[in-house]
Amino acid sequence: MGVYIGKRVLAIIPIILFSSLLMFVMIRVGPVDPAEAYLAAAHIQPDDEVLAAKRHEFGLDQPLLTQYVQSLGRLLRLDFGHSYLSNMPVWGEVAQKLPATLQLASASIVLALVVSIPLGVLAAIYKNRLLDHVIRVFAYIGACVPVFWIGYLLMFFISVKLEWLPVEGRGSVQHLILPSITLALWLIAIYARLLRTTVLEELKEAYVRYARARGIKERVILYKYVLRIAIAPLITGLGINLGKLLTGAIIVEQVFSWPGFGRYFIEAIINRDIPVIQCYVMLSVCVIAGSNLIADLLQLFLDPRIARKGRASQG
Amino acid sequence: MFASKGKRLLQGLLVLLVISMVAAGCSSNTTEKSSAAGDAQAAKTLTMAWPRDIGPMNPHLYNPSQLLAQSMIYEPLVSYQDGKLVPALAESWTLSQDGKVYTFKIRSNVKFSDGTAFTAQLVKKNIDAVLHNKKLHTWLGMIPLIEKTEAVDDTTFRLTLTESYYPALYDLAVVRPVRFLGEAGFPEDGDTSKGIRSPIGTGPWVLSEYKKDESATFTPNPYYWGEKPKVDKVVVKVIPDAETRVLSFEKGDLDLIYGEGLISYDAYKELESTGKYVTKLSEPIATRNLVLNTMNAKLADLKVRQALSMGFNKEAMVEGVTLGLEEKADNILPPNLPYANIKVSPVKYDVEQANALLNEAGWKLPSGGGVREKDGQKLELELMYDKADLTMKSMAETLQAEWAGIGVNLKITGVELTVYIQRRKANEFDMNFYSTFGAPYDPHSFMTAVVQPGYGVSDTLAALPMKAEIDKKIKEGMATTDDKARTGLFGSVLTTLQEQSSILPISYIKQMAVYRDNVAEFKFPSNRDEYPLHGIEKK
Repeated sequence: MGVYIGKRVLAIIPIILFSSLLMFVMIRVGPVDPAEAYLAAAHIQPDDEVLAAKRHEFGLDQPLLTQYVQSLGRLLRLDFGHSYLSNMPVWGEVAQKLPATLQLASASIVLALVVSIPLGVLAAIYKNRLLDHVIRVFAYIGACVPVFWIGYLLMFFISVKLEWLPVEGRGSVQHLILPSITLALWLIAIYARLLRTTVLEELKEAYVRYARARGIKERVILYKYVLRIAIAPLITGLGINLGKLLTGAIIVEQVFSWPGFGRYFIEAIINRDIPVIQCYVMLSVCVIAGSNLIADLLQLFLDPRIARKGRASQG
Repeated sequence: MFASKGKRLLQGLLVLLVISMVAAGCSSNTTEKSSAAGDAQAAKTLTMAWPRDIGPMNPHLYNPSQLLAQSMIYEPLVSYQDGKLVPALAESWTLSQDGKVYTFKIRSNVKFSDGTAFTAQLVKKNIDAVLHNKKLHTWLGMIPLIEKTEAVDDTTFRLTLTESYYPALYDLAVVRPVRFLGEAGFPEDGDTSKGIRSPIGTGPWVLSEYKKDESATFTPNPYYWGEKPKVDKVVVKVIPDAETRVLSFEKGDLDLIYGEGLISYDAYKELESTGKYVTKLSEPIATRNLVLNTMNAKLADLKVRQALSMGFNKEAMVEGVTLGLEEKADNILPPNLPYANIKVSPVKYDVEQANALLNEAGWKLPSGGGVREKDGQKLELELMYDKADLTMKSMAETLQAEWAGIGVNLKITGVELTVYIQRRKANEFDMNFYSTFGAPYDPHSFMTAVVQPGYGVSDTLAALPMKAEIDKKIKEGMATTDDKARTGLFGSVLTTLQEQSSILPISYIKQMAVYRDNVAEFKFPSNRDEYPLHGIEKK
C-alpha cells in the first residue's frame, strides 16, 4: 500500500512539469507579448525603448530554455512575481482572496452532499415511481443549465421578486446561500443520479439478500450496510469534480460579486495580467492533481480491495 | 470496518465544514449592518455600483486606481465645465506673452481632508512627483514639455514650459495624474509611483470605510472649501457583473447606475420600458469614426471614399445596432467641444450616387454583378475591429452587407486587443474604427493623433495631398496664444478632413444614467472622467 501511495505522489511531479511547460509555450506562442501587456495594464505608452527595457527586465530576451528553467525555479519558490496591474506580489493577493473562494467551495460541497444523498436514496427506494421521475428531471435540469443562468434566475426570483435574500455580495450567512446553491446544483444533480445507481446495484448484492432472509429491517439494511458502500464513489467523484467546482466558482463569483480568487482571475484575463494567470493555472493544476490523489487514497482506505487488485494485476 | 471509518471521517468533515461556514458567516455578519437601502439613515445615503475595487486611490497613477474614487477625493487646479476652463484649486491664472509661463494664484482657504493647508509648495511637490515618472505620463502632451515648476510663495505657483502649448490647461483639468495629495499621504522617499500612504485630498469626499473588493464608503470632507455635498454618504458597491448590477438596482439595493460600460444597451432599454425609473442620456461625449486608410491604393481615391461614405444607411445602422442609444454623427468631433463647432453638410445615403462615383473612379461591375473590378483587381477591402467589442462587430457586419450592394467586398476581421493595437500602430489595416477621446482631451488629442504617427490616424492620412498643410495648421493652432486664430486653424483642419472623407463619422457616443426617483439633481459631468456626485440630492 505504501508503495502504491508513493507511486501516486511521484506521478504528480511530471503532471506539474508538463503543465508548466504547456503554459510557458502557450504564453510564448500567443499573440500577447507580456511586456506589451504589462505596459498596457500599467498605462504606459509602449515606445520601443520602454518595450525593450521591459522585455529585458522580464528576461524575454533570454534563450527560451533559460526562460523556462528560470520560470520553473520561481515556481518552486512559490514566487509568481508581481501583478502587472497592482504591482503587488501575486501570491500575497491570492492568499488574501483564497478564503472567500474556499468558503464558497466548501459550503457548496456540504450542500451538495447534504441534498444529494437523501435525493439519491429516495430515488433508489422509489425506483420508477413519481418521486424518482421528479428527481430525475431535476437532475437533468441541474446538469444541463449553465451555472450563470441558474444564478440569474435565483437572483431574480428569490432576491428581487420575493426579497428573501441579498442579490450579491459577501458578509452574512444569507449572502452565502444563493451562490452556494448555484455552485452546488450540478453537483447535486450528478451525485443524486450516481447514488441512485450505486444504491440500486448494492441492493442486488448477495449480502442484502441474506440480510433480508435473516429478517433485518429494510431500513437498517439500507442505512447501515448499503449506504456505507454506495457513498464511496461520491468521494471519488468529488476529487474529479473539484476542478469543475473551481471553474464554476469563477462564474459564480463574478455573478454574485463574491470577492474570491475566481473573480481575481477574470480581471487578470481582461487585463492580460500574465503572472496572475500563471498562478491561477498552476494552483488549479495542483488542486486538481492533489484532490484526485486524495480521492484515490480515500477510496483505497474505504475499499482496500483496490490496492489488492492493483497488486494482483501487477504480479 | 473501513466503511464505517470512512463514514465517521465523512461525518467529521461535514461537521467541521458546517461549523467553519457558520463561523465565517457570523464573524463578518456584524460589519454588514451598515449596508444599503434598508438602513434607517438610507434617506441620505446614495448607493451605487462599480465593476471593480476602487484601488489604491493614488492620484498620480492609473488602473487599478479608479477614476471614480480619484475624482471624488482629489481636485485639479482648473476644471473643465461646459466647454470652458473654470477656476478650481487655482482661483485665477495668467499666461506669459510667449505662451510658455503659466502663473497660478492658489486658493488660500483650501485644506486637505486631514486639516492641513493646501499650498503652492504642495502643488510643486505633487507635479514634481508626477514628473519623476515622466515615462508613465507622456500620453499627456503637457508633461514632456514642463521645464520648471516653482512655488513663488504660499499662494503662487509658476509652471514653465519649453514651448507654447495651449492644451496645458486642459491637461491640468484631467482626473489623473495632475491632482494633489496631502503631505501626509506621500511615502517617505516622495516617489508616489510606488504607492501612497493614504488618500488625502482636497476634494468633497473622504474615504471613511473600505472593504477591499466589496465596498467603499465616502463621507463629506469636513474641511471642504466649496459647497458641501448634499448626501451624507456615498456607498460604492463592487459588482463586477453587468446583469447583477441591474438586478441589484431593481431590488432597490442601488440608487444609481452611472459610469461608462456599466450597463448594457439592452438593460438600459429594459429599465426604461418599466417606467419605474429615471433613465437619462448625456450629450455626445465622443464620436465613433471609421478610418479609411489612404495608404491603401484603392482608398487613396477620393471618389471611392465618398462612395463608401454614402453607400450605407448610417442612421438605420446606428439605430439598429445601438438601439437608438447612440446618435447618427455628421461631425468627426462632437460640435459641443471647444473649437469643434464647424458647419458640415451631412452625407446623404445615396446608393445610386455611390455607384456612379465608383464607376467614375474606374471600378466597374462585371456582367452579372458581384464585386467591382479595375485593371484586373477586385474592389476588396478589410475592416479590422476589436473582437471583444460587440458594437464594432455588429457595425462591421452591417457595413459588409451594405457595401456588398454597391459591389464592394468587405472582409471583416475581429482581432485580439493587443493585435489590434499592434496593427494600428504599424498602420497595417485598410479600415478601422476610431473613437475620439471626449472632453477635456479633445480636440487637442485628436489633433495630435492627426499629426503624430502611431495613434492610428496620422499614417492613414499620409496620401492626402494636403496632409503637410493640415499638419502645419495643427502645429500652429497648438502653439498660438490667440484663441481666435486657433478657432480658424482647427476649423479649417476639421473642414478639410470632413471633405476628404477619410475619417467617416458614424455615431455620437453618449453616457447613460439610470436612477430611482428619490435621487435628484443628477447632472452629467462635462469632463468625461468626472463623477457627478457632488450636487446630487436624495429625497
